[in-house]
Amino acid sequence: MGRRVRKRTMIKIQITGHDNTCTDSGGQIPGSVEEVEAKLNETFSCCSDFIYRKISCGKDGLIRILIAYINGFVDKRLLNQDVVHPIIEYLSGDHDNSRIYERLKECIVINNDIKEANDMQQAVDGIVSGEALLFINGENKALVIGVKAPQGRQVKEPDTEVSIRGAREGFVENLLTNTTLIRKRIKNPNLKLEIMQLGKQTKTDVCICYIKGIANDRIVNEVRERLKKIDNDGILDVGIIEQYISDSRLSLFPTVGNSEKCDKLAGKLLEGRVAVFCDGTPNVLTIPYLFVESIQNTDDYYDHAYFATFIRLLRVMALLLSNMLPGLYVALVSFHHTVIPFKLMITLAASRQGIPFPPFVEALLMILVFELMREAGVRMPRPIGQALSIVGAIVLGEASVAAGIASNLMVIIVAITAICSFVVPPLVRATMLLRFVFLIAANFMGFLGITLVVVVVFAHLCRLRSFGIPYMAPFSPLTSSDLKDSFVVVPIWAMVTRPKILRQEEGRGRKGTKRQEVKTGL
Amino acid sequence: MKCRKMVKRTAISSIALWSLLSLLLAGCWNNKDITDINIVVGIGLERTDDGKVILTVQVVEPAAIQSTSSGNGKGGGGMPKPVFVKSYVGETVFEAVRGILSTVDKKMFFSTAQVLILGEKLSQDGIEEVLDFFQRDHEIDYEMNILVAKGVTPEEILAIESDIDSIPAIYINGTVENTDSRATVKKTMLIDLIKDMGGNEKQPAIGQISKVGEKDVKTEGTAVFRDGKLVGWLDSYETRGYLFAIDKVKSTVINIFADNSKISMEVTRSKGKISVAFKNGEPSALNIKVEVEANVGGYEGKGRLELPEDLAILKEMLEEEIKKEIGMALEKTQKEYFSDIFGFGRYVRKYHPKYWKKSSKNWLTVFSELPVDIQVNAKIMRTGIVKSPVD
Repeated sequence: MGRRVRKRTMIKIQITGHDNTCTDSGGQIPGSVEEVEAKLNETFSCCSDFIYRKISCGKDGLIRILIAYINGFVDKRLLNQDVVHPIIEYLSGDHDNSRIYERLKECIVINNDIKEANDMQQAVDGIVSGEALLFINGENKALVIGVKAPQGRQVKEPDTEVSIRGAREGFVENLLTNTTLIRKRIKNPNLKLEIMQLGKQTKTDVCICYIKGIANDRIVNEVRERLKKIDNDGILDVGIIEQYISDSRLSLFPTVGNSEKCDKLAGKLLEGRVAVFCDGTPNVLTIPYLFVESIQNTDDYYDHAYFATFIRLLRVMALLLSNMLPGLYVALVSFHHTVIPFKLMITLAASRQGIPFPPFVEALLMILVFELMREAGVRMPRPIGQALSIVGAIVLGEASVAAGIASNLMVIIVAITAICSFVVPPLVRATMLLRFVFLIAANFMGFLGITLVVVVVFAHLCRLRSFGIPYMAPFSPLTSSDLKDSFVVVPIWAMVTRPKILRQEEGRGRKGTKRQEVKTGL
Repeated sequence: MKCRKMVKRTAISSIALWSLLSLLLAGCWNNKDITDINIVVGIGLERTDDGKVILTVQVVEPAAIQSTSSGNGKGGGGMPKPVFVKSYVGETVFEAVRGILSTVDKKMFFSTAQVLILGEKLSQDGIEEVLDFFQRDHEIDYEMNILVAKGVTPEEILAIESDIDSIPAIYINGTVENTDSRATVKKTMLIDLIKDMGGNEKQPAIGQISKVGEKDVKTEGTAVFRDGKLVGWLDSYETRGYLFAIDKVKSTVINIFADNSKISMEVTRSKGKISVAFKNGEPSALNIKVEVEANVGGYEGKGRLELPEDLAILKEMLEEEIKKEIGMALEKTQKEYFSDIFGFGRYVRKYHPKYWKKSSKNWLTVFSELPVDIQVNAKIMRTGIVKSPVD
């Protein structure tokens, strides 16, 4: 493995070397408009969306200015209104020729988002990130003015996380909108938003968000370090960051959470978690992510604790069922006839009468058909959805039973399994695969096999860490004060302490340090 | 550093490999689909004249049950029968269990057996040897009910076509289970029998089953065993007396005849206790103490139940009635069958172990000669909504 990693790095170095020669835009900003123009033209060759304009103004048209930006990225009306118009007006009147740059910077340009670029690299970075470059002849620096046009879709309710109560606002693709949505909920200067750029080609803005004083500094530092180590061409989705920074990259279980809901994220931040925003993605990562979070939902906190507790227990049951039900069924009908109540046994035997396949094959077929339908349902254009559900209902429910391929009971089992698997959305993927493992084990060893797999899975879960925090906390290690928000939910007025496990100063065990070793190897 | 990592990785992968192998190589040694077994619901055992064992099994046909219970069996006429009954004669029970496969396709699955019916002849010859198989086999349900057929062979009983339940064994089992509300048949499970058979602290007693007409059976009375052999029967009244004594009555109805009227008393609670009185280290008497709570369930005739004195008389009559029934049962087992089905021996062994050690061998002789003291304490709780019957 170590060798493979090194090879990958080498290739990367080669690519970056090549790229650097292509976009060499560093160096001082030359003092004349013509030279800057030439340099920009070279940098943005074959970029049809790159636009620049030279303005000659002043009384004799002696003062020359260059404005450059990416077409469509910049609000042109705003640019004219805030920048071009005031400048022309100022320069056509009385002015001090020696201090034009300072005057423009300090007063004339009516825009609050002004930065100074001291070399070409900064100037180019400003242009590609949607800002306008203002260069005045004779200076070795330029102004980068934020006149970005508002882009992206409206804030609306996320489709992936639906809740009955609570805010309908969901994050969008625009980073600034997202950070605003959070700032709107937590009006506090302690809400820190640290920005950095990741992805050598895409230069994606990535933002670490946490509440200082509540979040554990150790975890914040760890997140920062791990993000810095990401060496990648493009960050197209926050999911890519997730894969880079999660602790156990080979585990089936997620150790980094994600959410599209503003109120959910605010809640996580208030608990002391760290969020990672990524420009261009409506999903926001939450770190660390523990197992209990998969059975938590924002609705739990907005309603009475009784209902929340009941629903939590329901979710746990659903989680277990969606993993094990097909396996349990196969174990029952092919090994443990003795434990089946007599009347149920008659029903079971009657429903299996004449089925040509053993229960294992039957279960495998039906689950595969269901998974195919699910995948088709996700990828398919919406209007065709109805056709699929009709076909699914007939093929799965009716025809397979009528044709004697599958038994009635198996259809019910698969249906229950499917319903249960969607009750706990964060673990859908893990259960999808574990279900097969349970099924195979059950077919070979019955309940014994199921027990063995359960032992292995639990051992794995207890060993997992998310940024140094034990994954199964508060159950293992038992943190009694954190149990208030696990299987049982206490009323919100009784939840007086923040999760203790997130505050622990020392990382438990060697996992955290070991993890760093692996990272440096990359 | 790298080296250690390699070693660890090899260890992990070898563990994974071995556990995978153990999963795969374990094979399907016991993987048997539910459709590949014959679900046995009733077992019958009888002995032929030349000493062989006749094994009878009643097997369910699940598909047929499903179609009869859902009520729309496809296409009338040739409805499949819900059960089939097969018999096989073998030297031993186990041989018969396997031998029966020569006429049946799938392996017999005995865990679902609801009842085991022993033939009268087999019971007289002794049941201990045939029950050995049922103790040994891991697939047998220890809570299966056992009955002794009186006047018929087990095969005849298992072959009835009852209208009450499509599976005759379920119907038979139901009649045994409802003894809770009538207390006229001794309910014996396999596990009880196995416990009673070792030693002579308590002789086994098994419920009795007989055939009524073509389609029905009746479970009433008790078969009394001594040393594993059937020695006689108790009728339903004696059975109830016996059940009162061993504290197995949950609820029953006792009739009292008085002044041309019949009063039915519903026993709602009963507590029976047996003990053996000792004098000078020797057993001196058999004591039975029963406490009963009863309600007046019905009064057919004319009479008064208004005064406390009336109830006191009623109470005394009830006590007498119960005492009589217990006396009958005890008299019969003591003097006629010489069989301690009450378990007085168990009491002696528990509280007088020294005596038991010395003379457990001839306990049945001692038992049959001891005087008897029966005490019944009845309490009348309610008379229902009316007091005296309507004029």
